[in-house]
Amino acid sequence: MTSVTIEKNRNILWRLFSSVKLTIVLLILLAVACIVGTLIPQATQSQMESTEFAMGLSPELLRFFIFLDLFDLYHSILFRSLIGCLSANLIICSINRFPGTWGLFRAKVRPDREKPFEALPPHQVFLTKGDISQVSEKISLFLKSHYKNAHTKTDTDRHFYYAEKGGYSRFGVYIVHTSVLLILIGALIGSFFGFEGFVNITEGDQIDTVNLNKGYEELKRALLNPSSVKSHPHNYKKEDDILNLGFGVRCDKFTVDFYENGMPKEYKSELTFVSDGKEVDKKSLMVNHPVQFRGVTFYQASYGQIPGKNVRLKIVKNNETGHAFSVETEVEAETKLPGNEGLFAVTGVKTNFMNTGPAVQIAVKPFEGEEVLFWVFEGYDEIRKKLPGPMLMSPKFSPSAFKPYTFILEGLDTIYYTGLQVNRDPGVPIVYLGFCMIIAGFIITFFASHRRIWVRALPDKKGISVSIAGTSSRDQVGLERELMHLTNGLKAYIEG
Amino acid sequence: MLDSFILSSITFVYFGAFVLYLLMMVMARDILGRIATIITWLAFFAQTLAIVLRWIRSYELGIGHAPLSNLYESLIFFAWAITLLYLIVEKRTKNRTLGPFITPLAFLAIAYASFSTDINEGIQPLIPALKSNWLIAHVITCFFGYAAFGLSFGLSLMYLIKQLDSPEKGNRFLAIIPGKRIVDELNYQMVVIGFLMLTLGIITGSVWAHSAWGSYWSWDPKETWSLITWFIYASVIHSRLVRGWKGKRIALLCITGFLCVLFTYFGVNYLAGLHSYAKS
Ligand code: HEM
Repeated sequence: MTSVTIEKNRNILWRLFSSVKLTIVLLILLAVACIVGTLIPQATQSQMESTEFAMGLSPELLRFFIFLDLFDLYHSILFRSLIGCLSANLIICSINRFPGTWGLFRAKVRPDREKPFEALPPHQVFLTKGDISQVSEKISLFLKSHYKNAHTKTDTDRHFYYAEKGGYSRFGVYIVHTSVLLILIGALIGSFFGFEGFVNITEGDQIDTVNLNKGYEELKRALLNPSSVKSHPHNYKKEDDILNLGFGVRCDKFTVDFYENGMPKEYKSELTFVSDGKEVDKKSLMVNHPVQFRGVTFYQASYGQIPGKNVRLKIVKNNETGHAFSVETEVEAETKLPGNEGLFAVTGVKTNFMNTGPAVQIAVKPFEGEEVLFWVFEGYDEIRKKLPGPMLMSPKFSPSAFKPYTFILEGLDTIYYTGLQVNRDPGVPIVYLGFCMIIAGFIITFFASHRRIWVRALPDKKGISVSIAGTSSRDQVGLERELMHLTNGLKAYIEG
Repeated sequence: MLDSFILSSITFVYFGAFVLYLLMMVMARDILGRIATIITWLAFFAQTLAIVLRWIRSYELGIGHAPLSNLYESLIFFAWAITLLYLIVEKRTKNRTLGPFITPLAFLAIAYASFSTDINEGIQPLIPALKSNWLIAHVITCFFGYAAFGLSFGLSLMYLIKQLDSPEKGNRFLAIIPGKRIVDELNYQMVVIGFLMLTLGIITGSVWAHSAWGSYWSWDPKETWSLITWFIYASVIHSRLVRGWKGKRIALLCITGFLCVLFTYFGVNYLAGLHSYAKS
């Protein structure tokens, strides 16, 4: 009793998953799911936006969204079940149909069929004179030269020939469907055995660990408690996982070229790979030209500048005929004032202070009196027009805060750091194989066709009547063209 | 600049062709159709010339690259591809009734490119991420796909309109449209071409993304919408296998598919996104 129901259930399930109707339903459901995924900002892509979106939801709704993983929809159970159903659908459908296709492919077609010649258009029939055995020989040769598979069958007064090509085109669909599965398998392998990370390397520095992109679990916590994010907008960013590469990467040099109009033209990092203290390899990395080392791929993703050590200053002593001194100093190094009233040091450096450009903080320690701290901008005359009034008044931003000197920032050393995306994805070759196969499969399915040609020669009083017929699995127009071509060719061959 | 001038002038030529095709249908005068065809071919040649000129000009500016790099250039290429495909179909089927459904698409694309104020017509140098042959293959395949889907959209409209026809109505416009079976068959052929091209487009795009920023698929809205489009057309292809699903239902699915194409192209910029023409 129970076994019968199980058998029946299995049949129902099997029938469901072997139906193309289900395929259409699943494809449309997947499309709808993807639309939802683009309407709800995905946390793994833009944490800011999904946090904002989450804060606009009522608490119940937010919990519901999180329950369904709608902020990471493409990795949610919901989405994965749809993909899983589609895969099951694909596999079961193929298993169901393959034996039939194989049978059609292997079937021995009898050349002596009459049916193809019913209702044949007159231009596919012609009359010829001559000896039947000679004509028969010629037809056979002609067909063999055009088709790999050609058979002949002769009885007392009738001669039949059969030829076919493109029988393999029936398998195109299976190639397409297998490639879809391959691509999914490749993606699965990538998500299990690969990683995605990033790292910044300052020119001259070497790293051996990278930061992994945050997982959704962590993002989910931030989403459920948006207020904690709001009050400390940055502290949750520090929790990236760290991955040890097992080798070192040094950035020897980073360069960026610009076009005349200021748009970036090329970014380039010179990298050295170091293993066990030895330099193993050197490579140049550019956008669109990733480099690989030991299965890990490095991509040029971003860059930035940090202040270096050297600072060039001009110091003007105002009371003495405006004499200017040029001073080169290092950060934190104490230097004597030109008039020897005390010491000063650069105590802070910003490459882009409040969006106005480079600035340094100067601390002057006179031998008598209090320490004076103030910021000095590069190009102060330009910048003072942009600064808000209260800031201009404040001695903290006045280059002449320590009388009688005026400090001018001439130049700041900056060094580049390069931002690298660091990935490993062992699924890529399988995905790419799937890409190639799906295209091959499409071309076979859509542009090749299985063509079968029948030829019949009937000797009668007026001569020998030769008829040519054919069928095609698709592309009727192409078949008709081929039949016309064959008829003319055969006629010319026999008579010529 | 000669090329921009030619392109903005062609806008009116395409509009003229549309009016002539439409008049041919309404007045059932074959000669109008023949003139429309000639005009469309001329516009097509002029447009080809303009694209080549623009390409040469980019080399003269010292930043030579194929004219396929921003929204303006892609719209021009879309109009070019859809006109080419239409002219081929017209020649092969020896039927002009699709003309009034397709020429407006070419006209609108070029008009939007040439006369919208938020589209930059200038030739810009390529930012590093766009310097890739995969990108060129990506744009060409995608836009031929979109062109085929555009034709399929026109054919689907034709199909739905033809459904209103009946012999006793005696409407010239409707009577001149070929039979529903023929329209359906041609529509399917366009879907097949479009689907192949879209698949190639998605593949070349993801190979490019993989070499540019390390991941062949990152679910950004533009990618996702192209996948949505792909799902819709995959269901069109499969729905022919379900008995009784020919005709109207397929026409409606194809129209939905083309709306998805349009959204992938224009609408996505209104969603949050990482990479899009609008950004560059
Ligand atoms: C997203 C993945 C899929 C893609 C890209 C795809 C693609 C194709 C293509 C291109 C064809 C050829 C159509 C033609 O011959 O005109 C086809 C046919 C077919 N597909 Fe799929 N398909 C997919 C999923 C599925 C699934 C899940 C099933 C399972 C039911 C399925 C069942 C079939 C069947 C039964 C055929 C007809 C085969 C034949 O003509 O003998 N497909 N598919």
